[in-house]
Amino acid sequence: MSSQSSDGPDEALASSGPNDAPPLIAIEGLTKTFGATRALRGVSFDIRRGETLGLLGANGAGKSTLIKALAGIHRPTSGVMRVDGRACDFRFPSDARDAGIATVHQNIDDGVVFGMTVAENLLLDEIATTGAPPFVTQRSILARARAVQQRLDLDLPLESPVENLSPSARQEVAIARELAKNPKLLILDEPTSTLSEREAEKLYEAVAEFRTRGIAILFISHSMSEVKRLCDRAVVLRDGRIVSTHGTPMDTEEIANSILGDLVLRVDHESRKGHGSAFQATALRAMPHGPEISFDIRRGEILGLTGLIGAGKSELLEQICGHRRIVSGKMAVEGADFRPRDVADAMEEGVVMVPEQRALQSIFPGEPLWKHCSIGLLSAFEAGGFMQRRREIAFTEDVIRDFRVVADGPRAVIESLSGGNQQKLLVGRWLSRGWKLLVLDEPFRGIDIGARGLICDALRAYSEEVPVLICSSDPEEVIEVADRVMIMVEGGIVHIAASNELSVENLASIMAGAVAAPTETKVEAVCE
Amino acid sequence: MTAENNLESAAAKGQDRDLAALFKGLVYRYGLVAVLVLMIIYFAAAEPFFGTFRNAMFILQAASVVAVVGLGCTVSMTVGGFDLSVGAAMSLSIMAAAAAMVIGDIGGGWAILIGISAGLAVGLFNSFLIVYARIPDLVATLATLFLVNGLTLMGVGGQSVAQGMFFRGEQTTGSFAPIFNWLGSGRVFGVPSSVIVAGVIFVAVFVLLNYTRWGRAFYAVGGNPVAAAAAGIRVARYRIIAYLISGGLSAVAGLMLAARSNRGDVNVGDPFLLQAVSAALVGYAVLGANRPNAFGTLIGAVFVAVLINGLTMFNFPYYAQTFVQGLLLVIALLMSYTLGPSRR
Repeated sequence: MSSQSSDGPDEALASSGPNDAPPLIAIEGLTKTFGATRALRGVSFDIRRGETLGLLGANGAGKSTLIKALAGIHRPTSGVMRVDGRACDFRFPSDARDAGIATVHQNIDDGVVFGMTVAENLLLDEIATTGAPPFVTQRSILARARAVQQRLDLDLPLESPVENLSPSARQEVAIARELAKNPKLLILDEPTSTLSEREAEKLYEAVAEFRTRGIAILFISHSMSEVKRLCDRAVVLRDGRIVSTHGTPMDTEEIANSILGDLVLRVDHESRKGHGSAFQATALRAMPHGPEISFDIRRGEILGLTGLIGAGKSELLEQICGHRRIVSGKMAVEGADFRPRDVADAMEEGVVMVPEQRALQSIFPGEPLWKHCSIGLLSAFEAGGFMQRRREIAFTEDVIRDFRVVADGPRAVIESLSGGNQQKLLVGRWLSRGWKLLVLDEPFRGIDIGARGLICDALRAYSEEVPVLICSSDPEEVIEVADRVMIMVEGGIVHIAASNELSVENLASIMAGAVAAPTETKVEAVCE
Repeated sequence: MTAENNLESAAAKGQDRDLAALFKGLVYRYGLVAVLVLMIIYFAAAEPFFGTFRNAMFILQAASVVAVVGLGCTVSMTVGGFDLSVGAAMSLSIMAAAAAMVIGDIGGGWAILIGISAGLAVGLFNSFLIVYARIPDLVATLATLFLVNGLTLMGVGGQSVAQGMFFRGEQTTGSFAPIFNWLGSGRVFGVPSSVIVAGVIFVAVFVLLNYTRWGRAFYAVGGNPVAAAAAGIRVARYRIIAYLISGGLSAVAGLMLAARSNRGDVNVGDPFLLQAVSAALVGYAVLGANRPNAFGTLIGAVFVAVLINGLTMFNFPYYAQTFVQGLLLVIALLMSYTLGPSRR
């Protein structure tokens, strides 16, 4: 997380426009806490009638919590939400719906029911309402769905099962379902994140169309170019607060600055030059139609990779580490051709990764620490066909000691550790061996400063022997540990520099840079 | 004064809670084993014959086939799977081996090889459906169950295979090989050979699951397949191996069963599916494992055998046995799922 900014501007920034009728939605001092976590720390902003408002923010800024509060899924801890000037207290999603707020969630398939036709999906809310007539026939459903379709001026294959539709058509159904309720506000949560460029283009047109009908839209996105193109205004959420509001014409650099926060670039290490090339990537692509990517990683350095979410960082790393097949181009490790079929294959070639999602990709529920330490190195602890548990436990004790993991011994269950201590163990277990390349995806997410510092120091020392690639969407984290930093924007590498040559200003402008001419990149993509 | 009282009562409450948690933990870990031991003591005290070596061997002999199939189920469960086709695989291997000897008139060694190959083929088919065709384990093995049962019936024209049977209008001349007699009724130092075979298989599976790289990988795949793949474990490969082991052990159990009656009856393996699965599930509750494990499955199989043997001795009606088995399964499941540590 980026460090906190001054708290002042909230109210001043978010106050509504001139002294006309009350805004459609007025939110004042909204907070939401989950246990000790304060996801929203006093959010205040307005949505005006018929406007398209962009909501931007980094991961963990509180966007999803805010949407869920508006949709009636989470009940805010404190604060006021007004719809048409009337204070509302949403206890259930249906309360939000009755107030005229419709939400299309990020995951498209949460908005449609498989195994039903498009017509049935369109009328789902009507059918599921208590008090609806108990008997429905295919014909009556079809007739009513036609009426909805006509009213919304849509063209959907009403009789086909929804699972036969493409993702974008399914999304269209999900949106139509919400529109059928005649909402005053339509919330679109990262609607383009799973769409291809052409499909996204269709969605943009649809959004513009809704606007002409006077529906207000809250458009959540990671892409500044989208927001710039579609929205009348944009607000930026950071650390649970609205930190800035941007009117048209939008200054993407200013927005990038606001999303990233007050970066404190702390490079208290030298930027090592490294020697020779340990890993080469030639003409890789993060996305099937993205630009080509070529770079190398030197011996004795840590290469950092950063960029906003959706820039294609994970897609790139997954290709390097065998999680997915490479789209195009080639890779070489110490001069030898490298084309891993799967993770096991990549590890045999000496390339190992600490994946991004700890709970999903690294944790075995209910298992002790020592099994986690040895799982990727099973054959190293095997003699004559048998696992040598004593050596596994001794190894785990070493990791616990060297990385100051706070744990109740190697037999403790992994869930008994805090996130930071889990991460220390999961990174530490790899560092005893001479890999040819160590890759870490978002290694500092959700861990405390202490654990982060310790992992940074260990990686600095380890990288003397083994080149390290670290990826994070928080540039601060990358600059703190890396010798060189590589910046990705929309699937391409736009800048590589020594970490001590980067400043806050040029970082923000680089990240916003490729956004300046979004149409050009699109033309390029379509041509190929 | 009230504050003090409150503090004291709070402390007492805390103690109560600790005691309750301790008791719960003890029941969770040792409950099932304790019930088994108490049951044996009670039966032995009430009926002297129950406690004899001879009766112990009867019990183990009854448990051996269920234990072997159950160990196969256990292996498929460690990778997060579930094999519903074990009973069908048993039947197929019985019929294949019996037909090979009676109709084909070939030696016992070859017959055993044919029987085990049949079981492995079922396992291979399962892993094809599950790993390559990506059909969920339960429905894939259910389909296999029907296919294999049907195949078995078609192979022998719906009749049982026994010495001297008529096949395509001619009387057959082959017979069960001597090794089957040994497997069915032979003894080593008074211990039935089927018990010895089951014991050897138990030790092999126990060592495999607990002390080898494979076992570690099996449990990792079952615990979190995504994390297992990210740690460089070839998930597909281990799932295939697990289903092969399950099919192979079903075949071994089938041969043990065939050796007892020296004949191959149609679909005789079917009831063993439910018994084996229940033994493996009862095993979750043994020693607080809360996961499929070889020792637990063995205890689960023995538990059922002891229960049925004892109840039969007390003239408990045979038709109530199924109910008692169901009761045992419910109690074991309550212990591992309800008393066990909660998992999301």
